[in-house]
Amino acid sequence: MKSGKFWAWVVFIVGAAYFFIPLMATVEFSLRMRRGVHSFDAYQIVLGDARFQSTFLYSVIAAVFTIVLGILVVVPAAYWIRLRLPQLRPIVEFITLLPLVIPAIVIVFGYIRMYGSNSPLPFLASNMGANALLVIGYATLALPYMYRAVDTGLRTIDVRTLTEAAQILGAGWSTIITRVILPNVLIAVLSGAFLTFAIVIGEFTMASLLNRPAFGPYLQNIGANRAYEPAALAIIAFAITWGCMSLIQILSRFAPKSANRPN
Amino acid sequence: MAEPFLSIQHVRKSYGSNTVVQDFSLDVEPGEFVSFLGPSGCGKTTVLRMVAGFEEPSAGRIFVAGKDITRLKPNQRNVGMVFQAYALFPNLTVAQNIAFGLKVAGMPKADADRRVAEMLEMIKLPQMADRYPYQLSGGQQQRIALARAIAPKPKLLLLDEPLSALDAKVRVSLREEIRSIQKKLGITTIFVTHDQEEALSISDRIAVMYGGKAEQVATPFEIYNRPATKFVANFVGTLNVLEGKVTDAASGKVQVNTQEVELKGKLNGSKSGDTLALALRPEAISLGRQPGRDSSLSGEISEVHFLGSVIRVRVGIGNNTVSLDTFNNSATPPPAVGEKAEISFSSGDMLVLH
Repeated sequence: MKSGKFWAWVVFIVGAAYFFIPLMATVEFSLRMRRGVHSFDAYQIVLGDARFQSTFLYSVIAAVFTIVLGILVVVPAAYWIRLRLPQLRPIVEFITLLPLVIPAIVIVFGYIRMYGSNSPLPFLASNMGANALLVIGYATLALPYMYRAVDTGLRTIDVRTLTEAAQILGAGWSTIITRVILPNVLIAVLSGAFLTFAIVIGEFTMASLLNRPAFGPYLQNIGANRAYEPAALAIIAFAITWGCMSLIQILSRFAPKSANRPN
Repeated sequence: MAEPFLSIQHVRKSYGSNTVVQDFSLDVEPGEFVSFLGPSGCGKTTVLRMVAGFEEPSAGRIFVAGKDITRLKPNQRNVGMVFQAYALFPNLTVAQNIAFGLKVAGMPKADADRRVAEMLEMIKLPQMADRYPYQLSGGQQQRIALARAIAPKPKLLLLDEPLSALDAKVRVSLREEIRSIQKKLGITTIFVTHDQEEALSISDRIAVMYGGKAEQVATPFEIYNRPATKFVANFVGTLNVLEGKVTDAASGKVQVNTQEVELKGKLNGSKSGDTLALALRPEAISLGRQPGRDSSLSGEISEVHFLGSVIRVRVGIGNNTVSLDTFNNSATPPPAVGEKAEISFSSGDMLVLH
């Protein structure tokens, strides 16, 4: 037993070092902007930059829209496949995996050709259209994560019986999805939402090629032209990610209690 | 005769070439408690699900209070249902679960709250209103499921093996409670079960099902004492089946092994020389000659099992074996294996199985 505990600690320390040493090195480097002393100059410059604020806000809004679109598409689809079309599951799983196999650059070039200003659906002819196309593209990129998260959530409840119980009590489909299914897979949906947020905040290819003022292209631009600011930005992005995780933990405490989450 | 409240008319259900329910018909009177009893795969749940609207019949019609509901969606039928797996909404409290159907129907909150309180009183769980389903035992969850099904005052109550996930003691008390609530509310009820004791103890009538058909629809007393088919006789209760040969159809004489019994008026349609399956319930048989029992057969005791208050004895009569229980009497030693024995019964208790 004692030897097992010893090796467990060794593995833990090695793992923690693997994650934390590069992080600490980045933090340390980001504080070296002023010669000879540690300072937050790099952070001040980054946070004070108007482009940082605008691109970050743009990406946050895009992430929120992407999450809403993802939920609207994935929750009913995953639910219906579990309830009525289980034979389609392997096909749908394969389709949802495609964004992992097809590079974003291929998707975005396809979009540019399909939805250019001369096409029958000229999304790219206006700013709003391009923004909508970016959100649709992000929802596609996040599909593998969102679908799996929701599908795993649905696996933990008896979808068919709960649906039938609600139906026999007079509920229609919208009531069943919003009042019975969604609240019971809320934690899974939140996990999918978090992953979507993380993807959207750092995404570069789509935003850059669709010429959108998003956070990803800004990060790339700073990284290419400055020394200390990219390190500060990396730490800020890391803090945002951790902030999101904490937020989900807090939100999940307020989520409806279920048999699957007893406390 | 009054119009039936629920009328299932020549209903059939097929999945591809597999027919699971074939030409099932049943009329249920208002306030009646009818059980569908049968082994797994006999089609009882499929019929119930067709009444609920979860399955569409391949043929036939279903009427409730004279209205054809065959093509109505489940949420348009005003039917209550209790599922085997409880099916309480895990994200809602007990009170919210019971109020679900009322809210969907658009009942004002004050009225819904009153109805929920009334339902909680009825199932004797008023203190559980704010609990979540995971905080309740199986029996409590099923009581809540019953209250939830009844709260919107459905025309018909469907119970799909609601007791089978519960332990034996809770099962008995809950089935009595279900029956008492059903009687009090006078709600027409269909109860699906594979447990014959459950069906016999609480039903007004039982439909014994096998192979997608109703073998017999009758009162529990009739089902047990006058089974219409061999399947019903075998499925309901314990039965000793003996092989007999008709020796004189006119006078009702049948030979069992080498011995003769007289079954007056029971050999309708049988001819001399026909082989028949005869059945006797264990409680209709006594060991030794008893007054008032007009028939007897002789054999040899093949097994004796001491079960405390009763002794189970098996008697071999040629190729047939008859099982019977006798009360344990401390003054009399139990019979011994290998002893010659005579069993007596009333010829009226002997069933001829078709």
